[in-house]
Amino acid sequence: MGKNHQVALTRKGSTALMRPTEPAESFVTPIADVYETSEAFIVKLDLPGAAKDSININVEENRLSVKCAVQLVREGTPKLLFGEIRSKTYYREFVLGEGIDHYKTGASFDTGVLTITLPKSESMKAREIPIK
Amino acid sequence: MLVRFNFPNTIDDLVENFLSRENLDYRMTSSAFPAFDIAEYENESVVMAELPGIKKEDLKITVENGWLTVSGERKPYEIPQNARVLLNEMRVREFNRSLELPHEVEANNISAELENGILRIHLPKSQTARPRTIEIK
Repeated sequence: MGKNHQVALTRKGSTALMRPTEPAESFVTPIADVYETSEAFIVKLDLPGAAKDSININVEENRLSVKCAVQLVREGTPKLLFGEIRSKTYYREFVLGEGIDHYKTGASFDTGVLTITLPKSESMKAREIPIK
Repeated sequence: MLVRFNFPNTIDDLVENFLSRENLDYRMTSSAFPAFDIAEYENESVVMAELPGIKKEDLKITVENGWLTVSGERKPYEIPQNARVLLNEMRVREFNRSLELPHEVEANNISAELENGILRIHLPKSQTARPRTIEIK
């Protein structure tokens, strides 16, 4: 992961900063939704065709990254009549603010959608202060 | 704001993103949702479609007059009332896309499965559409 991760950071999804000596790896940016509740941040990513085991979720300091290679498997050697779906590697990263409890990050994968839950740490949770 | 996203933040980023091939492809397929793929085998064709977030019961497949139509609805997921939406890219709700069938099909034997957001439709060829070798007497 180390080297690829760094490559991804400098590239920011484009090939502009890639040196020609580096192996070309291109990523597809998955569609995402993010919302915040009083308890957590929820990140949802569309990863159609992914296998649960091939999804790599990494939380490092203030960065959440998701990487997932999707291999298009076809039996035998058919004649391709129409092709909009390819093997690809999804990659997307998010910069996290303070106040997230990294160790409690959870994830689930259903119908091709990955859901990551990033719970807020106790000090960041919204609280109503009663007036005495 | 507690979360920032890696949106392209310079004009260069934007142009690069727009021009790079994978994003170009991505735009094209998202304008024609879902993305399709058809592979033809000896006795059947297999249609694949990318349908993340869609449940079996919200999906309809019809074959009529030589056309295959995949339509349905992506139902919004449940979100708590007090939640604040920070990013919303999952905008496709209702969809409908048709493809001309590559050959005659045995309509009664069409089968389909939906797994991890990928729909696979098996279209068995009708007897007349299957390849045959003619023996010379």
